[in-house]
Amino acid sequence: MIEIDNLRKTYHMGNVEVKALDGITLDIAKGEFLGIMGPSGSGKTTLLHMLGLLDLPTSGRIVIDGMDISKLTDYEKTMFRLYKLGYIFQDYALVPDLTVMENVSLPAMLRKDRNEDQYRKDSHGILQKVGLCDRRDHLPRELSGGQQQRVSLARAMVNKPEILFADEPCANLDSENSKVVLELFREINESMHQTIVMVSHENWHKEYFHRIVYLRDGVLDPARNQ
Amino acid sequence: MGQKELKVAFLLALRSLQRGSRSSAILTVLIIGMCFTNMIFLPSMFSGIGQSITKQLVDYEVSNVLVSPKSGAQYITDIGTTLDLINGMPGVQRASPQYSKGATFKYRQRVLGVSVRAILPTDEKEVSPVYTKMVAGSYLGEGDTGEIIIGRPIAGDASVRQEDEFQPSLGGVRVGDSITIEYGNGYTKDYRVKGIYATGWSPVDSAAFVTWTDMEQVEGKTLDKADYITVRAKPGYTEQFIKNELLAYGVGVNGKVQTMTDLLSKSIGKVLQSFAIINMVSLIVSIIITTVVLFIVITIKTINSRKQIGILKAIGVDKEVIMHNYGFQVIILGILGIVLGIIITLVLAAYMSVHPIVTPEWSATLYITPWDLMINSVILFIAAIVAGYVPAYQVSREDIQTAMRA
Repeated sequence: MIEIDNLRKTYHMGNVEVKALDGITLDIAKGEFLGIMGPSGSGKTTLLHMLGLLDLPTSGRIVIDGMDISKLTDYEKTMFRLYKLGYIFQDYALVPDLTVMENVSLPAMLRKDRNEDQYRKDSHGILQKVGLCDRRDHLPRELSGGQQQRVSLARAMVNKPEILFADEPCANLDSENSKVVLELFREINESMHQTIVMVSHENWHKEYFHRIVYLRDGVLDPARNQ
Repeated sequence: MGQKELKVAFLLALRSLQRGSRSSAILTVLIIGMCFTNMIFLPSMFSGIGQSITKQLVDYEVSNVLVSPKSGAQYITDIGTTLDLINGMPGVQRASPQYSKGATFKYRQRVLGVSVRAILPTDEKEVSPVYTKMVAGSYLGEGDTGEIIIGRPIAGDASVRQEDEFQPSLGGVRVGDSITIEYGNGYTKDYRVKGIYATGWSPVDSAAFVTWTDMEQVEGKTLDKADYITVRAKPGYTEQFIKNELLAYGVGVNGKVQTMTDLLSKSIGKVLQSFAIINMVSLIVSIIITTVVLFIVITIKTINSRKQIGILKAIGVDKEVIMHNYGFQVIILGILGIVLGIIITLVLAAYMSVHPIVTPEWSATLYITPWDLMINSVILFIAAIVAGYVPAYQVSREDIQTAMRA
């Protein structure tokens, strides 16, 4: 599903060169629930952003579903993200002026292969799945953190993406809400055969992942990736 | 950019205005409304003054076409024949001559120098609306002798002391009072005040009218000359047509024929040009203020929303949608501001039609045409769009990582 070959990302901070990723090679299979773990500054989020087409690698190659993403134009990348990828961010990243229903429908509204009836039905369906159908007319500020993250999950899933990327989705949640969200991830992964790539640094999340890759200083940690 | 993308951009814009900072939106609309009012108020006021002066010049001085003495001549002569000729022409409603003579008015202890104008009352009524401006008594009749109508400033006010008067007067003459008039040729006669008028046009209000017959008594002979002849056109006939007719019939041999437009371009053309310059300055300043304000408002909005913009792009919202989102916000704010500006302007116009600005020389209201409203709306709308789209374009081009880190 995803092939990563010798991926490197170097940031320049003044005269200092920081190697955020220093030659990552990795394959991710379809339907896999992959956990990316490691200490702060190890390059977890940078790797996720590269895979999610949110940032450009300095060198290396990423192939998703047979497509070399470095060859895509800016507009094609936008469309690729819209049609094939879903995102969940640490801070929920909902549009504060839109209701739950509008937030969830937003990516679906832009798809050329969905009409109004379809995206309403899809949004309604996914909101039912995350258990927030009764809150569909509320604004994000009227919801708890856990509820907002479930809305974020619904928004990411409304277009039925090939891959779901989650960047520490439970970082701002208590353990009870974290568990609700992770159970939803598991359910989606199992019932829809959804590929999920998730960054986390909580040890107790491990039980949800099919496989875990550990990063340290921008490379796969050889000691832990046996 | 398809219909779906525009629909999403509009939804984002609408929700941002509906559920975002109300005070910011209201203040922005208010500023645009005030700028619109500023753009249209001063030009409309100057147009009103121009219209007022033009109307008063036409009504009380030159009518549609003025026949005046030729260069070097003091009077138009052979007035009887000339009037018959002009009144017989197609398109002419009526021609009315005026003959003025300087005189000294005496009433009780007051003495005042006044220009006395001789008229043919019946003809003059068809050319000038002075007869509709009587504030006391009545207008002159055709055969009246020994009777005079005077302007209100000449009559004066008995309750105002002489040293407090704005302009010298006879100190409170009323209809029926007798005043003594001593003409420049030494002829002296007592007149009964038949009426007092107030037109608001200073040169006429500072004069007095007697009949042609009366002036013939003053001159001691048949009066076959005039200072000028004013000609009123029938509805549907242009001034130029009348002028051409008069020239074709030879009136130009006896006098100089000028249309109201010819005269206006000479008399108040410079004034109107000055007004146009002030209007242009006012317009440019208003447009700059509106553009700068909207630019700042949208720039602040986009800076505050950089992270959200980054997230929208991350989830697959195209940069064009993001740009048009802010563009639509400016369009909505611009339309609301312009509507508010139109309402404020129309309320001001209605108020000033009841309470016009009055000076001794003219009175003015706001003169606004639908074209003025439309053209100013379009100018302001374009300025608003430019001011909104520039920061929106800039922020929508920012890369996702930079925007999300903001």
